[in-house]
Amino acid sequence: MPYQFEEILETIRMTEIEHFDIRTVTLGISLRDCVDRNIEVTKQKIYDKILKYGRNHVAYAKEVEREYGISIANKRVAVTPVSIPFDNYHMEDFIEIAKVLDKAASEIGIDYLGGFAALVQKGFTKGEHELIKAIPYALSETKQVCANVNVASTKAGINMDAVNLMSEAILSLAEKTKDNGSIGCAKLVVYCNVPEDNPFIAGAFHGVSEPEVVLNVGISGPGVVLDAVKEAGNCDLNTLAEKIKKTVFKITRAGELIGNKVAEKHKIPFGIVDISLAPTPAPGDSIADILKAMGVEDVGAPGTTAALAMLNDCVKKAGLMASSSVGGLSGAFIPVSEDQGMIEAVRKGNLSLEKLEAMTAVCSVGLDMVAVPGDTPASTIAGIIADECAIGVINDKATSVRILPIYGKKVGDMFDFGGLLGAAPVMPVSKLSSKNFVERGGRIPAPTRSLTN
Amino acid sequence: MRISEDEIRKLTLEAIEELGGKATPDMVKMVVQKSVSKLGELPDEISSPNLTTGRIILTSFGINHPGIIAKITQTLSEAEIDIKDLSQKILDKFYTMIMIIDISNSPKNLKDIQEDMAKCAEELKIKIYLQHEDVFRYMHRI
Repeated sequence: MPYQFEEILETIRMTEIEHFDIRTVTLGISLRDCVDRNIEVTKQKIYDKILKYGRNHVAYAKEVEREYGISIANKRVAVTPVSIPFDNYHMEDFIEIAKVLDKAASEIGIDYLGGFAALVQKGFTKGEHELIKAIPYALSETKQVCANVNVASTKAGINMDAVNLMSEAILSLAEKTKDNGSIGCAKLVVYCNVPEDNPFIAGAFHGVSEPEVVLNVGISGPGVVLDAVKEAGNCDLNTLAEKIKKTVFKITRAGELIGNKVAEKHKIPFGIVDISLAPTPAPGDSIADILKAMGVEDVGAPGTTAALAMLNDCVKKAGLMASSSVGGLSGAFIPVSEDQGMIEAVRKGNLSLEKLEAMTAVCSVGLDMVAVPGDTPASTIAGIIADECAIGVINDKATSVRILPIYGKKVGDMFDFGGLLGAAPVMPVSKLSSKNFVERGGRIPAPTRSLTN
Repeated sequence: MRISEDEIRKLTLEAIEELGGKATPDMVKMVVQKSVSKLGELPDEISSPNLTTGRIILTSFGINHPGIIAKITQTLSEAEIDIKDLSQKILDKFYTMIMIIDISNSPKNLKDIQEDMAKCAEELKIKIYLQHEDVFRYMHRI
């Protein structure tokens, strides 16, 4: 037999018991040729183009799922940042565009579509300003559209005006979706150093340097890594790193295969594998559990950042060896509400916002799905975003903030969004004011790291 | 079939060793050519492992009882599916069987066969998974 008994059973165990799945196959579609002076024509062009390429997306993904016995949790679409082709439009037009994107998404049967986005790290165009103004309306009046705005980069520094605008937008969106636990904020990400090929919602968009249409894939598999760590037992950290790398290597290979096959069915180019470890609220599918299995008593204990750094590095090394087309965010995600272990750590008071911020310095994204009291002032949210951007800018890495100031909720309350978004415990936020700092506005200049060219 | 220079050199050295010191260059050439042409006759599945095939890996496990393999193989033969390899292990009451099957000559497609097998599995109260071979090749072979 060309495969050993154990090898075959290992794969079956991963897919059937340890929740190994492909988290998302994301179809990237360029909308740059959809612009017209007449908004109605533009809307029709957008709708037609998404349907042209995306019509069979779900069906193709399901076929591949069946052939290889690996489930694909989400089928999604990302489009060109809407502010770029439609820069001459006004706020009302952008809301209309969000609605047509929503309609197209539900027509092709996907759950989320990303790309209601703008890149404003160095300054705004008129259209970008209008798009940001439209975000609270666009996201509260649609279900499937996700937005993201890049407000900082290592090359440009931090656009504090954009940070302030975004914190206002987040609060306004929280208020507009107050009947559903401010769920609108779960669809809005503020970025620093955003990657252009990230397949993971809510931060996905189809970057300007991407081809006409492309297929990117995001893998997932905290459960598989957790079992590998448990199996390794009481070994030293070198041995543990080896064990994690071997496991991640295998799941990345499977991810690349699935991505290639879905792209083949679409007859479009395959883009990248995002080798992120993405948790879900399902038991055993948790990054927090991996950190605990590595040896810290709970997430938030001293040593947590070191454990996460090692885990993240092993994921990157193994992924890069396994695939020649690694891209996107590629690291470990630590969303609070989507990870049962993180939720528990917050509820027990073991994990604070400050420790979480330190952890984001060594893993792939930032403060993700963090619920804070609904009465948090805009300047405090701006301060949190600015801190997160500073980590990204100085360390030349992607960071993000997806914060949920849940309307009417106080520290200790919980809100259950259901599904993949999970349940968010409201975390305490420092009462100290950042007002005078963030309201200076302007731009924090680029650090010296960017002046190497 | 492509053979690298290294492989030809190795074949030549082996041939010289086999023929001994008396071998003339012509004799060596003849033996090497013969070996090379033999290599070319190897079946495709061995000579080009990168080819995507109709090979499926069938894994089944559950509580052991008589008639499991009989039922599975009967269903396979009805669908004109060729069994390429089979291996099984029994541990206490549990049995595990792994089969490599080739569905390229079957009138049914993978989806139909998976549905047939799902019925089998339900009847026999066991688990049966059918997955394309590529997923194992990608995960366990570099």
